[in-house]
Amino acid sequence: MSDNKHKWARKVGFGFGPNELLPTDVESWNNSQLTSNFKSVGVAKRYSDVEIWPQEYNFSFEDRLRRAGEYNEGKKEIENSKKLTSVEKKKRVRTLRDQTDVALFDVYKFWNSAIYGDDMVKQRLTHFWTNHFTVGGGGRRNYIIGDFIYRVIYGNLNASFDELLYKVTTHVGMLDYLDNAESVGERSESARWARRNGKTQGLNDNLARELLELHSVSPERMYTEDDIRNSAKILAGWGANTDSVIRKFYRERRRDNPAIGSLGKFIYEPYFKDRAEPGRKIVLDNKFRSGKKSLRQLTDMLANDDFTARHLSKKLAIHFIGESVNQSEIDFIYNVWKDSKGNLEEIHKEVLNVTARSKERKFLWPSTWMFQAIRFSGSSFLPGFEDGNASFYKAVPSKLNYEPKKILEELGNSFWESRQPDGYSERKDDWVSTEHFDRRIKVASRIYSFQPDRQGEEIADLLDFSDNTKIAIDKASNMRDKFIVALCSPDFMEV
Amino acid sequence: MLTRRHFLSGTGAGLFLSGYPVHGFTKNAIKGRIVVVLLEGGMDGLLAVPPIGDDNLFKQRRALVASNPLKLNPLFGIHPNFKNFSSMLLNDEASIIHATSFPYVGRSHFEGQNVLQGGMLAPFSIKTGWLGRAMDIAKTAGKAMSLETPLIIRGANDLDNFYPARIKHSRLPSSETLRLIQSTHLNNAAKVIGKLTKNSMKMGVVSQARDPLSLAAEAGRAMREKDGPRVAVVKIPQFDDHSEIGTDTGHHPELFTLVDRTFGKLKSELKEEWKNTIVLTMTEFGRTVKENGSAGTDHGYGSVGLLAGGLINRSSVVANWPGLSNKDLYEKRDLYATIDYRSICAACLEAAFGLDHDVISERVFLDKTIPRTYGHIFG
Repeated sequence: MSDNKHKWARKVGFGFGPNELLPTDVESWNNSQLTSNFKSVGVAKRYSDVEIWPQEYNFSFEDRLRRAGEYNEGKKEIENSKKLTSVEKKKRVRTLRDQTDVALFDVYKFWNSAIYGDDMVKQRLTHFWTNHFTVGGGGRRNYIIGDFIYRVIYGNLNASFDELLYKVTTHVGMLDYLDNAESVGERSESARWARRNGKTQGLNDNLARELLELHSVSPERMYTEDDIRNSAKILAGWGANTDSVIRKFYRERRRDNPAIGSLGKFIYEPYFKDRAEPGRKIVLDNKFRSGKKSLRQLTDMLANDDFTARHLSKKLAIHFIGESVNQSEIDFIYNVWKDSKGNLEEIHKEVLNVTARSKERKFLWPSTWMFQAIRFSGSSFLPGFEDGNASFYKAVPSKLNYEPKKILEELGNSFWESRQPDGYSERKDDWVSTEHFDRRIKVASRIYSFQPDRQGEEIADLLDFSDNTKIAIDKASNMRDKFIVALCSPDFMEV
Repeated sequence: MLTRRHFLSGTGAGLFLSGYPVHGFTKNAIKGRIVVVLLEGGMDGLLAVPPIGDDNLFKQRRALVASNPLKLNPLFGIHPNFKNFSSMLLNDEASIIHATSFPYVGRSHFEGQNVLQGGMLAPFSIKTGWLGRAMDIAKTAGKAMSLETPLIIRGANDLDNFYPARIKHSRLPSSETLRLIQSTHLNNAAKVIGKLTKNSMKMGVVSQARDPLSLAAEAGRAMREKDGPRVAVVKIPQFDDHSEIGTDTGHHPELFTLVDRTFGKLKSELKEEWKNTIVLTMTEFGRTVKENGSAGTDHGYGSVGLLAGGLINRSSVVANWPGLSNKDLYEKRDLYATIDYRSICAACLEAAFGLDHDVISERVFLDKTIPRTYGHIFG
């Protein structure tokens, strides 16, 4: 790695924009990036100054469920109405959706944090872990994905990995996405009741399988189907699907139930004793007793397994350094993982150290590339949160700007879209196609339309582009095309 | 009473012999077309093509057998939602392969999809796909109807995608500028931008729809052109129904309708070229024989493959039926795969590209032991 600070900031963050001061000492900058407390920021209007992210645009888990409930109930009311025409119904449902939406605020926060945030390294780490623990979007889950990203992932970046693993596994979003909400122990009270009534209830091993395969030890651990099945038995009882949680929460809130406190706790630890599988379970030769606490024992065991350290050290290295990272570079991270017993702050620090020394190049995700292009060039492409996020009371739904959400979808790289649990690929080959490049070029052109401070040639100089690329930029016939050539060259797509 | 085992006729030593000269590839543009329909998530083959002549089917999954399957022969029926496909079967232009799979028993979507697209025995062991390697030998072009280029066709020289963008106020710059961008890239990225430049200069209006059916229609339209792609890959996602799978109606049956209409759409859009075409479905694994606790089925092993196109002369259900009693199941839970689906893919390549079986087994699947099944499907 060269000592070019601009390149460094793109490797582990989103790059320094035209108005940002470069740190004098990279090492202390690294440390403060990992340990400081940062405030979320954003712009209210497209060309206005950066300000603190408004508190009313941060939603607690309860707020999210309440708004989802308002949407669900309101939609039902509109659809059951006998007075309205179907056109009118559609219009009203659309208005209601815009008024109660939460996901759009989250998407704006996601963009603003990447483009204007002081905590760019933490943001990149958040993207990594949100992808590692994929919770696919779509439907009502989109109301709570922001909670998963900001409260659970961002909020635990400096915790131990076992803490993060447990919190991720017990989040309503994950329990819903991987069907654990449908899983019932075969010898549980609930299943026995169902059998007496001619129904069947049983285990669903989807979350158990991905917990082992993707989230922790990986197939290298050579676990058996019995290990998966027994993990599913430990997980049985955990989870309620998003819609039922929303319904329950909304009803309780409307009734102003004094027992709201216990419901509040329930949504953070959605556990149903009557669906839990009684008896002992054995996973990877470890015995687990019955009861709610056995899940924490399971996730702790998996988090502290040597194969988890190996699997995740490699994945972190590939994400930040590149897909041809050396084994010795992975080993540095692995050793810190083992020595610190999975302390994420220590591990992340080592990821930065190893990345600083490495000469590998990383092909960036389209979303990372886009955020870097906007931040580094100083373009005002991102609409302000006031333009886009009309709040509940002053909503002018027709004016809502959904472009930030849609662009992420178009790039095939949105955390609010339905997708496979293995998340977005770290391999360059998966991101190279005519359609992918079509979008990159079109997005680069869009970014140029909003007055970037840095032009194509300046970007090439600051980032030490190859001579070959500089010649191509030089040959382009106008400033827009020079900008597009610069951003769509391998010198900017990779870092 | 049916014999429980219904053997594929004509198996034996003959299957492994190959008297063809090795010709590698034909010089003239290839006539045959291959469309692969990827059924992502693991299709329940027993719900799609139920072995209604096997009494154990009803013992094992009472609630998951369609009430009025179309009877194909004493052993097999097909879900009534496969309307187009059923009439193709009647017209001798479709076949079914049952109790089949790629040789992968791990029950992971990601490993399974990698194995069936890469065509290797071990997941993540190769960076090209079996179809791409065959296209490279046959020197032919292909198009993926998706944003990304799926592994299955990687390795071919001439690749394109179709999945129209929806980015407002934005269009591609001039072809001169696109060529400048291309000049900064190497290898595959440079090729891809070259293709994009060519596409950008084509005139005419193309469909902007992105649902599987519209994409299949677009694939058919492109493939019926004289210099169009000879290969297309269409994806139908969301087969991973762990709960509420549906029987007569419901989510899996709706997907059957979509698969069926995809076959119909390909036929109607390929027009004259349908006679030179083979369409085949692929899924990473079948699902458990018994239903799970939430009226769905979990990841399994053997499933079903659906084939259609004018290259087929005689319809059949090809199976070496392993049975469904507990002792017949793989790990006491899954339908066994008794036919290696690689051998079916190899037969399709032989039929469409005119490649010799030995070339296919050695250079496409890198495994000489793959049996030749051509005669059972295209004979």
